[in-house]
Amino acid sequence: MQKKAGPFFYVFLALFVFFVMFPFLWVLLSSVKPLSELFGDKAFNWFTSHPTLKSYVSVFVNYPFLRYLWNSTVVATITTVYTVFVATFAAYAIARLEFKGKTVILGLVLAVSMFPQIATISPIYMFVKKFGLTNSYLGLIIPYTTFALPLSIWLLVTFFRKIPFDLEEAAKMDGATPMQTYFKVILPLAVPGVFTTSILVFIAAWNEFLFALTINTAEKYKTVPVGIAMFQGQYTIPWGEISAATVIVTIPLVIMVLLFQRRIVSGLTSGSVKE
Amino acid sequence: MRNEKRMERLLGYSLVAPAMLLILAIAIWPVIQSFYYSLFDYRLNDPTKSSIHLSYSLDLEGYLQNYPFLKSALKQEMATADGQTKQTLAQIEQKLAKLDAAIRSDDQVAKQYDKVNEVLDNFGTPSDELKIAELDKQTAERLTVTVHDVVETLKKMKKAGELKQADKVVGLAEGLEGVVIEPNFVGLKHYKDSFSDMRLWKALWNTTFFTVVSVAIELVLGLGIALLINKAFFGRGLVRATILIPWAIPTAVSALMWKFLYDGQNGIVAHYFETVGLVDRMGDLLTTEAGAMFAVIFADVWKTTPYMALLLLAGLQTIPSSLYEAASIDGATKWQQFTKITLPLLKSSILVALLFRTLDAFRVFDLIYVLTGGGPANSTETISILAYKVMFSQTNFGAGSALAVIVFLCVAVISMIYIRWLGRDLLSDGSSVKR
Repeated sequence: MQKKAGPFFYVFLALFVFFVMFPFLWVLLSSVKPLSELFGDKAFNWFTSHPTLKSYVSVFVNYPFLRYLWNSTVVATITTVYTVFVATFAAYAIARLEFKGKTVILGLVLAVSMFPQIATISPIYMFVKKFGLTNSYLGLIIPYTTFALPLSIWLLVTFFRKIPFDLEEAAKMDGATPMQTYFKVILPLAVPGVFTTSILVFIAAWNEFLFALTINTAEKYKTVPVGIAMFQGQYTIPWGEISAATVIVTIPLVIMVLLFQRRIVSGLTSGSVKE
Repeated sequence: MRNEKRMERLLGYSLVAPAMLLILAIAIWPVIQSFYYSLFDYRLNDPTKSSIHLSYSLDLEGYLQNYPFLKSALKQEMATADGQTKQTLAQIEQKLAKLDAAIRSDDQVAKQYDKVNEVLDNFGTPSDELKIAELDKQTAERLTVTVHDVVETLKKMKKAGELKQADKVVGLAEGLEGVVIEPNFVGLKHYKDSFSDMRLWKALWNTTFFTVVSVAIELVLGLGIALLINKAFFGRGLVRATILIPWAIPTAVSALMWKFLYDGQNGIVAHYFETVGLVDRMGDLLTTEAGAMFAVIFADVWKTTPYMALLLLAGLQTIPSSLYEAASIDGATKWQQFTKITLPLLKSSILVALLFRTLDAFRVFDLIYVLTGGGPANSTETISILAYKVMFSQTNFGAGSALAVIVFLCVAVISMIYIRWLGRDLLSDGSSVKR
């Protein structure tokens, strides 16, 4: 319903945006405070009069933060590329071809996407350990298939279904084989859907915590979420560095969200997908 | 035409096959294995229980590091002893020799026996596969009983002062006590133990409480926000980005951020909560049971309400505005429009959003693990956290897997209830979910 928005509405909107963004805002303000102003009576001042980038420098000098970023990028990228590649074929078949057991297969995919991670972790951990894959990229990429593949198939099926069937019929009339139809007609039209799926799978893999926590325990192979979570020591928590690290990982996300927001929203709502 | 159909079917199966095989191997098989593990007393830090044994087996390394030396030690003793003592020693020696023969009577075991002996002679360490030999139940039991008898007898003789190298002989005999590896199959014992442990019930209650309260708040707030922003206004892009950022940030990172905001001394949110009287003291947020649960739910609501609003907004936008126009011409109030038009037409969107959110909330791990670690006094310990702790802190994979299977079954039951409500909408072509 397209109602006109009044001034009250904008006040509400401003409040909503402020509440949602407040934690980030506070962390951003804290990240430039000198250490002495993070604690004690100055802790609740909004703005510091002595802004400093010390925390940012410390994140890279005192912690292998760059390494964490690199690890997360490698793992999330490879997971995305390989699962989306495998999923496009399966999704095409489920969405466009006629064969028995399609609904069962899609139901299975949905069921697997609902599996609690904790239910698969012990055998996967033993498997990864047995083959010496703990503290390696492959040790995370393999387990990440458990959530990335069902997610990709589920999203891609809804995208493939939206492509008009007439085009396929026309290609068939012209004598194209199903594979030709797929590569020449369907796939080019599905590129936006594949792209959207890739963004969502990438974010899911980037954010994964439980497998990364148990499988890659060495500093050298930690991913960003685990790395930052482990900043906290036994007795002290370096809030300055944590704030700076949070800002560093949030900024690319904000840029990505601003650039691709329409796609992300269409992906999230089209399959009414989890996360 | 029929041929073409067959080709299409074949193509369909072969395109789906790689994905299905991966899902079977990496997602479904592990769940089955989790269930299998849960039937065993499986502990990573205990060498006799660090793998799964359905049958009895013998640790040949331990056996061969003791038996030959015990044999020669007994012979030495016999050489210097006399009368009754000599006879007893001879009996012991014979018993053990017979037992050794029984062990070697199996060809496979005998082969492994010789190989391990060879490795040990060269001061090497035999591999796990080589040193563990499968033993039939009868021999295994006989070995246990005999060794026990021998140790008892030798200890008595030691007390009576009948042995020259008493400590050595008894020590070697005792070394034989741990060589039989019993099957660690325990059946449903872990489940029985779990269900009679208050900690599981507390964790289940915490999980349910967290799920119901946070999802309910998220639904009401999310629906409210969706209804309010379902109109044309300036700055939609900004609002959409605002909604997406909490969703996109890693949960572990946002949990840490909230930990900073909740901090008992320096946390700004804790400070404001104290100022408005929501908590008595700032420190209460993370150190009292009720405070910690509230803190966890609040952080979850912050992270997922925007997402809920987004899903519901998509549903709202599918409702044609002509329905509302007709209703208002007929004199329906806003509330009537909401209950008679919006809610019924939004039903499947709401159910789908609820399904995904309920399952996500029930499996909650990252948020609580980082924010409270399950504390204080296990007051925010959910079932996933409990299972993780049992598996990786106590290295008790058997009991932990049982807990993981319980999580799995709960999730399965919840999904079945929702899918009953949703019907087949979720899976069929042209589903109402889609648009």
